[in-house]
Amino acid sequence: MAEEIYQLSATEISSRLAAGKLTSRAVVEALIVRYHQLNKKIGAFTSLDEKDVLAQADASDARRKAGKVLSPLDGIPVAIKENIAVKGQPLTCSSKMLANLVSPYDAHVVEALKSAGAIIYGRLNMDEFAMGSSTENSAIQKTFNPWDLACIPGGSSGGSAASLASGLVPLALGSDTGGSIRQPASHCGIVGMKPTYGLVSRFGLVAFASSLDQIGPMARTIADCELLLKVLATPDARDMTCFDSTQRSQLPVATEKSLRIGIPKGLLGKGVGAEVAAATQAAIDFYKSKGATIVEVDLPSSELAVPTYYVVATAEASSNLARYDGVRYGHRSANAKTPIEMMTNSRSEGFGPEVKRRILLGTFVLSAGYADAYYVRALRARSKIRAEHLAALEKVDMILSPTVPTPAFKVGEKVSDPLQLYLEDIFTIPANLAGLPALSVPCGKSGHLPVGFHLVGAPLSESKLFAAAQLFESAHSFANQQPTL
Amino acid sequence: MAKGFDIDHLAKLARLNLTAEEKVLYSNQLTHVLTYFETLAKADLPVNSDVALVVTEKALRSDEPGMSLGSDAVTKIAPASHDGQISVPRVVDDES
Repeated sequence: MAEEIYQLSATEISSRLAAGKLTSRAVVEALIVRYHQLNKKIGAFTSLDEKDVLAQADASDARRKAGKVLSPLDGIPVAIKENIAVKGQPLTCSSKMLANLVSPYDAHVVEALKSAGAIIYGRLNMDEFAMGSSTENSAIQKTFNPWDLACIPGGSSGGSAASLASGLVPLALGSDTGGSIRQPASHCGIVGMKPTYGLVSRFGLVAFASSLDQIGPMARTIADCELLLKVLATPDARDMTCFDSTQRSQLPVATEKSLRIGIPKGLLGKGVGAEVAAATQAAIDFYKSKGATIVEVDLPSSELAVPTYYVVATAEASSNLARYDGVRYGHRSANAKTPIEMMTNSRSEGFGPEVKRRILLGTFVLSAGYADAYYVRALRARSKIRAEHLAALEKVDMILSPTVPTPAFKVGEKVSDPLQLYLEDIFTIPANLAGLPALSVPCGKSGHLPVGFHLVGAPLSESKLFAAAQLFESAHSFANQQPTL
Repeated sequence: MAKGFDIDHLAKLARLNLTAEEKVLYSNQLTHVLTYFETLAKADLPVNSDVALVVTEKALRSDEPGMSLGSDAVTKIAPASHDGQISVPRVVDDES
């Protein structure tokens, strides 16, 4: 059977566009047909301006005809998570609070994509304000896992992962505060990277927990993910944590020397599903067969990662979300006579349950009498977790684990037990706490559901992670598997 | 580690109105989560923590006017505005 346009990788589309075998308009038209066939079923996109994306495609085709191609991404659609600003488009964060907000400006990453000629293609569903691991917390709609529509796609970038897995778009942006790119990537059988903290500007990303948030690329193949990251990772003075050109010039490059891979002590023990453990072990065995040295690494503070993360992230969220007061933008309650009533009623009407829960938790861990016991201790634990990871990464090139302990669960299964849902992030959180780059790579199935393995590297070692993942992808067929829809 | 909290006080600090049902739900859920957080209380942790993830020598920009949205764009997204300014409920009562 001939490959359909919606099945093509971005790299393949790029080479067909360059060879004149395909036009950007043909790509976009094929994806719009696919969107009409599937989006209601999957719920990945919250909006798609068809007229606008066709106009962008025509502009790209005209540039190509005039010999003015801007980059390998010129004419390729990239879908954007609902918490990243695109001028003139909704910026809802999948919340009632921002239901009517149209962004007056572009995020840095959107500017970078536009400069590269990419087509800014539709908005993707997410957990409200990126708080969640299942995309069930969206106030707009639910998103379902394309591999099993009874299951969650993961979250919070669930719309991004589901859109890629179902062939609705070849590239997507997500954001990752504790695993929000990598966990849905694993659940949907696609590739997702959280870059080193500071590599990609967050200007125009709606803040959740500022010391943890990163924007990152999501794709169906390693090469596509790397291609997208190259466009995103440029200096930007508007995000003070974003590396400048000098810092970027120190970026290490992948070398040919033998890989050293660290495996955390006791990794595949408690809580990891048997088939997830088997798929991870098979990935370890693969690297061993390719000459990699496998070394056990000790990360004793890993058990502190989940509580540390939920203290730090909720504390920062309670502060960041204080801006939603009904004054300057977002929902304003119609039932308020005083400024205090306006703030309290607007917030109570605009925020959903998980956001309220995290604001309350963050308010508590920062409150007088409790901040030392929770927030300050969490900062100390974070420091210890980071030190242990950096020490381990002196001895090995990267640390390998499952991305998520178990495959995607049924929609509604964990709604009433937030703690169970928080434990989904046990393998992904340390990379955020330590500011390290991390990548989820599809590596098999648990039953009919995809699972991924997770690579974490030293700061700015993205190219090493991509090279190792490419070695695995080239020897396996997981990147080409697509669900029957 | 103390884990007692006053849900009414917390809601007031967070500027949230909670229904009686929500108070019970969030109290139970937060108690459960805070119990799990007790591993932090038992951990042997360094006293001096350095959590800076990136070098921030250049964190402060020069004190010069930069790009801004302009009042038209700002008032366009505001819930209510009047004469190019954002309007809110009366803050100060009339003197009487």
